[in-house]
Amino acid sequence: MNDVWGRFFDGESGQRLDVELALDRGAETLRLVHPDLPHGSQYWPLQAIRALADQARTDQLILSLYDDGALDSALITTARLTVDDAELITQLQQVCVNLKRKDLKRGTGRKVVTYTGGAIAAFALMVFVLIPAMANTLAALIPLEREVAYGKTVVNQMERFLGGANAGLACSNPAGLAALDRMEARLLEATDTDYDLNIAVFNHRMVNAFAAPGGQVVLMRGLIDKAGSPDEVAAVLAHEIGHVESRDVTRNALRVAGSAGILSMVFGDFTGGSAAVIVVEQMLNASYTRDAETEADAFAREMLSAAGVSTAPMADFFDSLGALERAGPKFPVYLSSHPETTSRADAAREFARDQRRTSQVISDSDWKALKTICDKPESANTEKEASAEDDT
Amino acid sequence: MNAQIQGQYHGQSKPLFSLYFKTAFLTLLTLGVYRFWAKTRIRKYIWSATSGDGDSFEYTGTGLEKFLGFLVAIVVLAVYLGIVQMALFYFGLNLFIVPENTAQELAQIGAIYLTFFAVLPLLLFAQYRARRYQLARTRWRGLRFGMDSEAWGFAFRAMGYYVLVILTLGILTPLATFKLEKFMVDRTWYGDSKFVQQGRWQTLFKGMKHMLIGLVLLIAGPAIAFSVGSGGVAILGMVALVVGYIWFLIGAVYYRIYALNYLMSNRVLDGKIEFSSEAQTSKVVSIAIIGTIVVMVVGGVILGIAVGIGAAAGEALVTGGGFGALVAIAILYVIALLIIGGLSLVMITQPIIEHVVTNVTVHDDENHLNAIQQRAADTGADAEGFADALDVGGAL
Repeated sequence: MNDVWGRFFDGESGQRLDVELALDRGAETLRLVHPDLPHGSQYWPLQAIRALADQARTDQLILSLYDDGALDSALITTARLTVDDAELITQLQQVCVNLKRKDLKRGTGRKVVTYTGGAIAAFALMVFVLIPAMANTLAALIPLEREVAYGKTVVNQMERFLGGANAGLACSNPAGLAALDRMEARLLEATDTDYDLNIAVFNHRMVNAFAAPGGQVVLMRGLIDKAGSPDEVAAVLAHEIGHVESRDVTRNALRVAGSAGILSMVFGDFTGGSAAVIVVEQMLNASYTRDAETEADAFAREMLSAAGVSTAPMADFFDSLGALERAGPKFPVYLSSHPETTSRADAAREFARDQRRTSQVISDSDWKALKTICDKPESANTEKEASAEDDT
Repeated sequence: MNAQIQGQYHGQSKPLFSLYFKTAFLTLLTLGVYRFWAKTRIRKYIWSATSGDGDSFEYTGTGLEKFLGFLVAIVVLAVYLGIVQMALFYFGLNLFIVPENTAQELAQIGAIYLTFFAVLPLLLFAQYRARRYQLARTRWRGLRFGMDSEAWGFAFRAMGYYVLVILTLGILTPLATFKLEKFMVDRTWYGDSKFVQQGRWQTLFKGMKHMLIGLVLLIAGPAIAFSVGSGGVAILGMVALVVGYIWFLIGAVYYRIYALNYLMSNRVLDGKIEFSSEAQTSKVVSIAIIGTIVVMVVGGVILGIAVGIGAAAGEALVTGGGFGALVAIAILYVIALLIIGGLSLVMITQPIIEHVVTNVTVHDDENHLNAIQQRAADTGADAEGFADALDVGGAL
């Protein structure tokens, strides 16, 4: 074999040594010769030789030596030998059995498991325990008048979102408003609330209602149209009052602010990553709001019962809501922000069985008036589809 | 050893594309976990394609250390962001008054979104840490690069300079560009030798000339069109608007290339080794334009096929059993995204890197490179985990 040369860097100085290479199959070594090397030569055991991976150049091979005490996380020495002789490259690829081996430090598996477990535990603690706890505390600390101001802003935003700019969605038929007042008074008769309630009806065909912070409750006209009796509307109203009383909306806003962007950090920016973030975020939100919904249902049952109103119509309302849901696409429970309507209806029906002496929440004439609460002023322009926060 | 070393680049499109496709697909399969290894492997390829005087660069980072660094970083960030964002939101709420008009209301809503600025100092911190990690994992001729650990100093200075840039409507951009680059370069090492950034920040003003021309056209165009309003002149105004917009965009590239060349050419290693850079805006812009067209055409064709299958699937859904078609669309969509990503890498990113690298020259008249010794290894605890968590630094 003719003289074959390689470029050698010892990893200590930037001095390049053009070393003469010789492959000794008998001794299973690669010999490097240069007068500047200590003792004039080095012997590299073939089974300890490693080649760098994912290299752009196929006309050369960069070699290093396995070293289990190396600082380099690939466990190789700092010395590098570049070979560009095609014949020697072919030979080395045949005789160096561990050329492409990826070495890992002893205990790497345990380290990965510890780190992953620790990170998941700490992250879960933050997202599931600490952030909700902090949101609870802060929601209780916020002064009442600030919460009211925030709630009014939210309602204004919602109105603009549903009806376009300055739509003035709030219904104002005097007889209807009076009927709504009497319904509110009946519900509040036997239950104390921390907030001055501010109940409005929006002229929109959505079958929905929502609570905003600080005692703001909004019913949609579609919900009153859909309801079979005033007791169904009262059940929804009591449910929303339940949200108001437990400051659910404020707490949720604080929690969302605290966890903003945290999930997208985990998944990063890979192809399809944002889809994963949306699904997980939805699951997380759903798990919180489902509990809040169940509690608001319980609050509503107690409130109706204390006011002497039957919860059986509440069950009817959930049944008709269930029929609406079945018409649309079906989502699994863990993706939905609300408990399953059948179980909500069952709970209300069960509760109604033990109720004694109930009466309709408002008179039939008041119910008629409530149904016309949005009459008189312009009733057009509200047929726009909107996907507002579903909170019935 | 030559007194002058010209940068060389040996990367090719096909192997890099298949490396990207393979690693991006694995990333998808592992719900993103493989992305640390994917990024590392692509870096290894690009670093090894770069060489000077026949000696290739080497990237010694590993996917594993990036993954572990990321795990540490997300816990720190989750705690920091959770607490700071919620506290800011809470104080924002405490400023709320019942809004009297729309403007006030919007201002209050806007104030709440300011909480997202809580993350800004961390982004800058992460930017410095990422560069430090990459340098610590870069070797040439067996010697490591490195950078001093002063990420917070960088983050605070950067915020200060950016505030100045915003307050002066962008006029002080050269000051921020120069001072921040100098901050980093002056803390950068190759082996036991230190880099120093020389030059004056005022020189970079010259690089802003095309941005200025674009801006003048952008403002003057509509101004003329509106004030005169009559046929021909108005059309001329609109043309000026469009031309100004494009001129400004290309001007921004010109500024970056100008700054790159100037900063590189005024960099000194150990007081003895000098550099020069002659990258060209025209070349970079033409690579970007041609690359974008190719990526858009190819991506469009594949997405078009997906939509076609989607239409067929719509019919199939009506007759029942369209599930297979839905899966086919999803797969085609993913393949389209992977191909678009891979093509942008080999048609735009890699050619630009090649152009920049091959236009750098190292001037070592005193043959000083041979005298440089190795530096101690940086273990770099977080391995740019913060940058990964906050998505700083893009594809590479």
